[in-house]
Formats: sequence, structure tokens, C-alpha cells
Amino acid sequence: MRTTLNRQSVEIPRELADEPLLFVLRDHFGLNGPRFGCGVGSCGACTVVVDGEAQRSCVYPASAAEGCEVLTLEGLAIGGRMHPVQEAWIEESVPQCGYCQNGQIMTAFALLAARPNAGSAEIEAVMDGVLCRCGTHARIRKAIAQAQSRMAGDA
Amino acid sequence: MASFSRRRFLIALGWGAAGVTAVAGGGAWALMPTLPPRNAPSAADATAWLSLRPDGFFELYSSRAEMGQGISMGLRQVAADELGIGVQRVRLVQPDTSLIPVARSTVGSDAMRETGPLVAHAAAALAGAVLREAARRLGRPVEKLRLTPDGVADDGATVFTFAELGAGPPLLVTAEDVEAATPRLLAGPAGRREVGRPYPTHDIAAIVTGSRPLYADDVRLPGMVFGAVVRPQTLGGRVLSVDASACNSVPGFLGLYRDGDFSGIVATRRGALAQAMGVLAVEEEEGPAIDSATLAGMVEIDAASGPLEHSVLDAGDMRERPYDVDLTLTVSLAAHASIEPRTSIARFTEDGGLQCWTGTQDPFFVRNSLADAFGLGRDKVAVHGMRMGGGFGARTIVAAEMDAARLAKLCGRPVKVQWSRSDEFRAGFHRPPSSHRFRLSADAAGRITSWHHAFRSGHIIFTSAAMGPGLQFATSFVADPGVARGSIPPYVADATRVEVEDVRLPVKTGPWRGLGAAANHWAIETAIDALARVKGVDPLDMRLKSIASQHTRLSTVLTAAAEMADWRARARGSSDDGWGLACGIYKEMSYAAAVARVTRTEAGYRVTGLWCAHDCGLVINPDQVRAQVEGNLVWGISMALKEELLVEGGRVLPESFFDYPLPVLSDVPEIEIRLVEGAAAPTGAGETAIVCGAAAVTNAIAAMTGRTVKALPVKAA
Repeated sequence: MRTTLNRQSVEIPRELADEPLLFVLRDHFGLNGPRFGCGVGSCGACTVVVDGEAQRSCVYPASAAEGCEVLTLEGLAIGGRMHPVQEAWIEESVPQCGYCQNGQIMTAFALLAARPNAGSAEIEAVMDGVLCRCGTHARIRKAIAQAQSRMAGDA
Repeated sequence: MASFSRRRFLIALGWGAAGVTAVAGGGAWALMPTLPPRNAPSAADATAWLSLRPDGFFELYSSRAEMGQGISMGLRQVAADELGIGVQRVRLVQPDTSLIPVARSTVGSDAMRETGPLVAHAAAALAGAVLREAARRLGRPVEKLRLTPDGVADDGATVFTFAELGAGPPLLVTAEDVEAATPRLLAGPAGRREVGRPYPTHDIAAIVTGSRPLYADDVRLPGMVFGAVVRPQTLGGRVLSVDASACNSVPGFLGLYRDGDFSGIVATRRGALAQAMGVLAVEEEEGPAIDSATLAGMVEIDAASGPLEHSVLDAGDMRERPYDVDLTLTVSLAAHASIEPRTSIARFTEDGGLQCWTGTQDPFFVRNSLADAFGLGRDKVAVHGMRMGGGFGARTIVAAEMDAARLAKLCGRPVKVQWSRSDEFRAGFHRPPSSHRFRLSADAAGRITSWHHAFRSGHIIFTSAAMGPGLQFATSFVADPGVARGSIPPYVADATRVEVEDVRLPVKTGPWRGLGAAANHWAIETAIDALARVKGVDPLDMRLKSIASQHTRLSTVLTAAAEMADWRARARGSSDDGWGLACGIYKEMSYAAAVARVTRTEAGYRVTGLWCAHDCGLVINPDQVRAQVEGNLVWGISMALKEELLVEGGRVLPESFFDYPLPVLSDVPEIEIRLVEGAAAPTGAGETAIVCGAAAVTNAIAAMTGRTVKALPVKAA
């Protein structure tokens, strides 16, 4: 099965067709970005972007990614330059333990890519689905606002 | 009447400070031989922590684990200042257990307090050794040489880079050097460049890009397979039989392995492991059909009669009825719910050793436990502590490490075990439920005349998650110091009595952020608010006039928080909007006070404002201290409004986060924090603000409704 992973064409072995995409990304391709939190899509730590939409890769069969463009945390930076969302995450010093931040960043990235001017209610509605136990929420809010202005500045 | 204080007895036994420290009576130690000695870190230990490497970097071995609390960056900052260099030249390494002397577990907000000044001493000693080496090579008096950010300078000109100096024989420091060193850290602000600067968490670039391995799940070994352990699903249940015949049709399933009561399965890939677990036939003898109400009943304080088993404090003549306040408060069972499930990898090596990679708060406990379980010398086991995806007290015992090692032994391959989310809820341990009765009185001016707090709780430090029946019995005569933590009020009364009974529950309970201080402070701060209401005294004034004179730092943060929130000018009398405050002391070392504004909405109570003043002494990294304060306040919101781990039909109910509510973005307002530095040395910030967050929120609700919040969590608006 051919898939585009972080802008590169890759082959997912047929015998992994039923494997959750998360495990294919982590164990077959050796990626660290998407993380296992719950296995049933209840926390969002495993979020990747498939054809522009945030997906929970722990409940997303690898076969469904065939022919799709899959983007993981590793694929956000282009040419050594971090995406504005990642830059904002560092500037606002968001992570504590860091484990959920893949899900926060990928979800925010997908949201802002689709709706750069998303308002606070829309941001909350989307980001409420991605859990953080350390309590980085207030900084996530600031980082998203900052990413929005960085992306507007780049445009 | 003043009488024997059990607390003094506890301190004498070594329970005073923190965590699992010493022994509970002579016999207990022998029952838990795997627990490493818990001596405070010494100058001799510190000689192994810091070195100048051939590449010109100073390598710092942290003896404490990183779980997002910020110790790694903080120690880099401390070391950098002594060496006169920037943090980027200090490379932090989380050493495996073979590389440093035995270290304490990372608990109790003690990492910076216990190891920061020692790292400063070690770095100051190494700075001296670097200068002496340069002087020796140049044949110049050492007094003429200075450290610069890049090397050693003579008369302002660099004569050696650090790489040149690091390329020679290792520069060693002795325990005497470390002890005799005079670090800048505690000498005042003059020598500080990196200490006091805000830095994000260590490894932030790797966290936001995924560029390299950080957590245990990022460790991948050649030939590694994935394992899962078969566990009873009910509390007190027992697995009677396991039949894996249906698993054989799952491609990638490798086998079922048993050893006595232990059974687990192994597969080449995780999807196969999950599928095999799904079709595994397990017969279980179920435990008793207990539920949340059963547990609450077991700790119910109003069911106790007469004095409780342990007296924490008994001073002055207790006034009898009538009381101004007679209040029973209850705290629910709650989970740690770290987003990273426990994950460990174990590999037996050809030379008869065992290696383990894991996110743990206690690598040396893991090492000793594995060594003892497999009959290996402790030098044969190396535990590699990885960054933890949240700790909060959950990773103080040995869990997935033993699972992985047993399966690795049985199947002959390296094994990774990652607990399922269901394992986390059902096989983990939890914050105990507790029940608190307060009988309080005050005079007309609001001066407290009597304070009586009696409470019952499940165990915390004497956790059944790590202690067998023998040790449970041996410790049953001593109050669980984790349960008692933070139960002595900071307030003066003519008479104060605090008494406690710990109750062995059929659900595993243990240390959760703040240990007993989280529940006890919520209760204390709820009770004093209720007393203020009855007496018609402003809750701020009630506290300020009652705080004992030795706790001026508490009064300072309380006054600061009230000022930040403009407390005196707050709106009053609305039935949809309320303001509450709370304060407290964590482990007699750190202080915090918070004000919360809560608004009633259609969706329930919502915290719409949050202010906190915080004093943990010298602040090494203000950004990370603020992050810890924010985290604790969010935990406070969560304690107040969200968290309850339900038990039903003999089992812990949740299997995923769908059934266990955590705070989300829309639950958290903007948070304003002021850091007060009330002491010249650093203390601890990892748990401090947990003493005030929850009560500030529930007191705001009480101010709005006129009714004290008596149970956590608050169910509905």
C-alpha cells in the first residue's frame, strides 16, 4: 500500500493493513511524534493529519491511509524551519511533561490550516478534545493565538 | 489539654520529611529489603554528577527524574552559573543506575531543594579544578586565570577552550572539594546570570518536533516484541485459568507464558497483541461486588466513635458543644491519569545482566526490585530512566518494569510492555477517598477558639500497591504519614486537635500529587471559610488574623493574591458569580494562596478568573515554577469540579478517558501568578499550589450559593 508520509512516498506492507496507523508509524517507520495514550481515541495524543484532517491514529486502520497524505509531527518543519505552530509552542513554553503535545500541536495545526481566523469558541470546541494532564491549557490558548498572528504575518 | 503528639514520634522515626523515607519500626525494614536506603544526597554523591567532556561540554548527571516538573533545566541553570557559562554548554544526561550512586526517588517536590545546592557545590568545585588544570599547563598562578563562557582566560584573552581542557585526563573533584566549595547560588544575586532566567522545559525542541527518542515508548531494541499481562478485572479478583487457543489465529501472536500466578502474552506487533488479548479466554474468580458507595462508607468519619487511632496534634482545652461549625466533608477516589501509560522495556543480556528502560520516579527501587526478583546482583541490573509523560506520584512503585522483565525472561527476547488505559485505571493505584469532620468555634471577633479535625482515609505511603500483607501489618500501628500530610492547620486556636485513622481499602490507593495535603488542605480551607461565613467575617480577614505568627510567608502570599484579584472590591451578592480564596503551606517549606472567580453557566460552574501568589524561596527558573503553579491550579479546578474515579460491581469503572473526566481548555481561564522569593534557598514547587486551588474554587461556589461545598467533586451547578 503506497502512502505519502511527511511528503515522501512510502510502502506500508499489506500484512499491516489492519494495524492501527499509530503502530505502523511508531513501530514500522520508527516515528516518535504520534503517541499512545488510550488506544480508543479518547485523549488525542496520537493525532496525525490525513489529507488535511486531524485523525486519531490509534483507531485509524493503516489500510485507510492508502493513497493518502499523512503528516506527523516530524513533517511539520519544512527545510529545517519549524512550522509557526511549533515556534509558538516554544515561544510560549507550552510543554510540561510533553507527552500530549503532539496531539495539541497537530490538532491546532489542522485547525489553523483549515480556518486561520478561528475564534476562541471554535478553538475551544476543537482543542477540548485533546487532553493534557499537566495543566498547560492556558499556555496552549496563548500559543494558538500567537501562531495565528505568525501565520498571518507570513501570508 | 496538651498531650503526647504522635507527630513528634513520627518525625523521630524519620517519617517527617518526605516520601518513603525510612522505617516504620525496626521490623518493617526487613519486610521490604528491596527499598534502597533513603539517605539525603551527599557531597560524595555529587562528585559523580558533573564532568568536563572532551567535546568541551559540561555533562551533568541528574540524580532526579524529569516528568515535566522542570528539574533538568533548573539544574543546568544552577551548574552554568557556577562555571560562568551559558546553559547551552551544560549537557544534561539522565544517567542509568550504573553511572551514579544510589539516589532518592523523585517525590515530594524535593528535587531542587535537595540536589540544587549540591549541584552548585559540585560545579563550583569543578570550576576550581578546571582553573587549576589550566594553571598547571601554563605554569601560571591560578589566581591570574578566569573562566569565560568558552574556556579559561588569562588577562582577558582565552588561553584554553573547554574542549582543549576536556581532552586531557578527566578532571576529578573529591567530596572534600565539593563540600569546601563556595557556590554563588546561595551567596546572593550578584553572581547569577542563568539562575532566575525563564527557560522552557529541557528538550522542548524534541518535544515539539518528535526529532529524537524521549520517553520509554521511543526505545526500540533489535528483536524486541510486545507483551501484555493478564490481570483480574475485579478488585480482589483472581485469574483462575487462561486459554489462548483462539489467539493462534492472530498473525503475529507468539505465545502465552505463565509462571505461577503470572500469565502474559507476547506478539510481534501491537495490533496483534490487542487482538489476541481480545480473544483470550480468561476465567476469573471475581472479588466482592463493591462500589463507590462501599468505599465511601468504609472511610465515613461519622461512623467512627471516640478518639481516632492516631493523634497528629492535640493542644489546649477543646471546647465542647455547641460548635459554630460542625461539618462533614468528603473527597472522592481519583486517578493520576497521566497521558503516558506506564511503559517499560526489559532485555536480559548475554553476560547475565538485565537492562530496563522505563519512565519511573524511582529508578533505584526498580533496579533493586528486578535484581531481587531474578536473583541478580544489583550491579547486574541497569535501569535507564526516561522522561516521564506525567508522574504525579504514580510512578513510585514497580509495575510495567516487572511485567516486561518477567515476559522477557519467559520468552527469551527483549519485551516492551505498555499498559493499556484500562490497566492504568484497574491495575494502578489511586488517590484515596477520605472523609473529614470539623468542629470549630470562634469568638465574636473571629478569633478561633477551638479547631477539631478528625478524618479517615485510605492509605497513601503505606500503599497496598507496593506493600504485602506483612508490611501492611507492621505499619498498621503508625499513622500513614502521607495521609497525615498537611493536616495541621496554619491557624492559631486556643485548642487544636487533629486526629486520623487510615483504613485499608479493597482498592489500591497511594501517593497522588500533594499526597494527603491535597485533600486535607481542601478540607481545612473549606472549614475556615464556613467559620468565617457563620461569624460574618470576611474570609480574607478571618485567615489573616488567624495565621500563626511563625507563618508570615503565608500571610504575605495571601495578601498578595488578594491584592492581585482586587479581593476587597469583588462583586458580592450575585447568585451566578462568586469569589473564593484559599491558602496553605506545603511540607513546611513552600507557600501559596489563590483567588478564584466562578461563574454559573448553562454548562455548569466555570472558573472565570484565577490568581495565585506563590513562595518557594529562591526561584531558579521562573518560567518552570509558573508552569508548576499553573498545573497545580488546573488540578485544583479538576479536583473541585471534575474528578471522581467510579467503582461499580467490584471493578474500577473507566476503561478510557471517555469515562474519566479531565479538565479541558474551556475549563481553564487565564491565570495570573506572582512569585515571591521569601527565602535565600530554593524549596519546592511541584505540588505547592495544590494546597489552595481546589478550595479557592469551591469557596467561590459557596460564596455564590451561601452553602458550603461538602463533597468533591461538585456535581452540578
